[in-house]
Amino acid sequence: MIPIELFLLLSAVLFSIGLLGVLVRSNGIVILMCIEIMLNAANINFIAFASHSPEPLAQIFVIVSIAVAAAEVGVGIAILLRAYKVRKSTNIDDLTTLRW
Amino acid sequence: MVDIMGFIDYVTPLAPHLILIIAALVAPAIGMKSGKATEVFMIIAGVFAMIVTGYLMWTGYVGEFEGLYQFNTFTGLMSLLFLSVFILVAMMSSAEGRKHHGEYFALLAVSTVGMMLVCAAEDMISLFVGLELANITAFALVAFKKNDPRSSEAAVKFLITSGLSTALFLYGMSLVYGFTGSMSINEIIYHMAVTDPSVSYMVAIVVLIAGFAFKISVIPFHAWVPDVYEGAPTPVSTFLAIGSKKMGFVVFFKLFLLLFIAVHFLSQIDDPTAAMRIHELQWVFGMLAAGTMIVGNVVAISQTSIKRMLAYSTIAQSGYLMIVLCVGTEYAMATGLFYMIVHVFMKGGAFIVVAALAARGLGENISDYKGLSKRAPLVAFAMLLFMFALAGIPPLAGFTAKFFLFSSAVTPDGTWIWLVAVAVINSAISLYYYAKVVKTMYVDKGTTSERIRISGSFKLAIAICAIGTIIIGLYPGPVLEICEAAANAYIGGFKEWLFDFHSELFPPIP
Repeated sequence: MIPIELFLLLSAVLFSIGLLGVLVRSNGIVILMCIEIMLNAANINFIAFASHSPEPLAQIFVIVSIAVAAAEVGVGIAILLRAYKVRKSTNIDDLTTLRW
Repeated sequence: MVDIMGFIDYVTPLAPHLILIIAALVAPAIGMKSGKATEVFMIIAGVFAMIVTGYLMWTGYVGEFEGLYQFNTFTGLMSLLFLSVFILVAMMSSAEGRKHHGEYFALLAVSTVGMMLVCAAEDMISLFVGLELANITAFALVAFKKNDPRSSEAAVKFLITSGLSTALFLYGMSLVYGFTGSMSINEIIYHMAVTDPSVSYMVAIVVLIAGFAFKISVIPFHAWVPDVYEGAPTPVSTFLAIGSKKMGFVVFFKLFLLLFIAVHFLSQIDDPTAAMRIHELQWVFGMLAAGTMIVGNVVAISQTSIKRMLAYSTIAQSGYLMIVLCVGTEYAMATGLFYMIVHVFMKGGAFIVVAALAARGLGENISDYKGLSKRAPLVAFAMLLFMFALAGIPPLAGFTAKFFLFSSAVTPDGTWIWLVAVAVINSAISLYYYAKVVKTMYVDKGTTSERIRISGSFKLAIAICAIGTIIIGLYPGPVLEICEAAANAYIGGFKEWLFDFHSELFPPIP
């Protein structure tokens, strides 16, 4: 059986990649994808813990969180599409009307 | 034979939620016919849900739904609060989204249901679902002015910060599950209270705090708040300021306030060293609270847009409410709940005035309010009430709420006296920018003296808020009693559970 530390390491790496992406990238769609990577890092954690536990609770949580993430992305893409139609750009560095 | 009475008993803990969900499902159909009818229908549904919640609270009902949701005095009180937020926002929404009235109200109702589910959640899964239900619908609401670039900009910013906070929350949650092996909030808190902090424990706590700090706009996670509040349609800004923010605080109460209480309780009955474990965590909250108050109030001074000014003042109010988390007593929680209720009326009222005037074509800059006392005397007077209440001038409710909240932090050991001092100084700073609005309305001469008449539902909403602000200020006893009962039901129930659970694991040696 693969030791649980490896799973946790993988998820920590994925989480860091996602967080870095959210912080440094400027394309809205890429940022949304990075958030998905972070959510999946959490899902990997849950699945890893679930495989070492007799309870199915964590697996249920993963299914719920996948469904919720899908809903979030659906609304998110719609909002980015709207922002693109209004200003012809998905670059969030251009969103500077509202400041201070 | 279908067991109808059994079914009703089964769903009673979620009765207010179900009423609102059914109304939300019907709303788009009515919205096809008439916008005004939808508004009236949703307000009636909200009032009906309030009556049901009030009745359940009055009978002292306590119930559970599948171990996922619970109804007690605390969830009842919070449900009443969110339902009144919903009704106030529905009253001020008549001008929004003329073409999509049904969808607007459906989203608003579902978001309210999400907040109420968060309050009732007993389990991490149900907490997460409630949180996301409230969030995802809120994105759509912020973006509701489809062709306004400011609305879509605010929505993108809100989407990214909220998505990030969800991801942080979920990751922290997965680590917490890893070392507690449970999804029930009570059991998680018990395990966190008895375990000595390890590195993964620290990472999980930091990630969880960061995730929720976005929701309650604590520094350094506050930058999205002014942008979103300014860009979103005003009713939605109101909804976020007086509703969504409270939901974040409920989550903090559920996780961290209960953790502090559990640790103190365990140190009393069993393990005297336990209290040391959370000492640093309480100081972290203290620092965050002080920083949030200072940043919110100081930056609010230089604002020219009234919505941004109110947004920064909301950030400052979060700082005041954080005091509850530092102190971590039952009385502090009761005063925190009292402050939340008062905040709905005073901050809600200020936002409603802004929306009502914007609906009549007045700008959203503070300088646009010059000479308002001549153009709309009653509205200007209501605004004066809300501004002074927010600043904490007696005898208005804001003063009473701040007095109770700050006094709860003055404990015999005097740990949090410095925080109270910071809070009081900040209240004094905040008077400057609130009074500036009043001065603009009453002293400055306007360019025109044309009268502004606002529509009926706005008048009603402003009147409700103004009466609430005055009455609770003059006569706070009954409301504070309800808050104390709620805090008592919540924390007392938790302590009973904790005692049983602890003595089951470690039976007392005879």
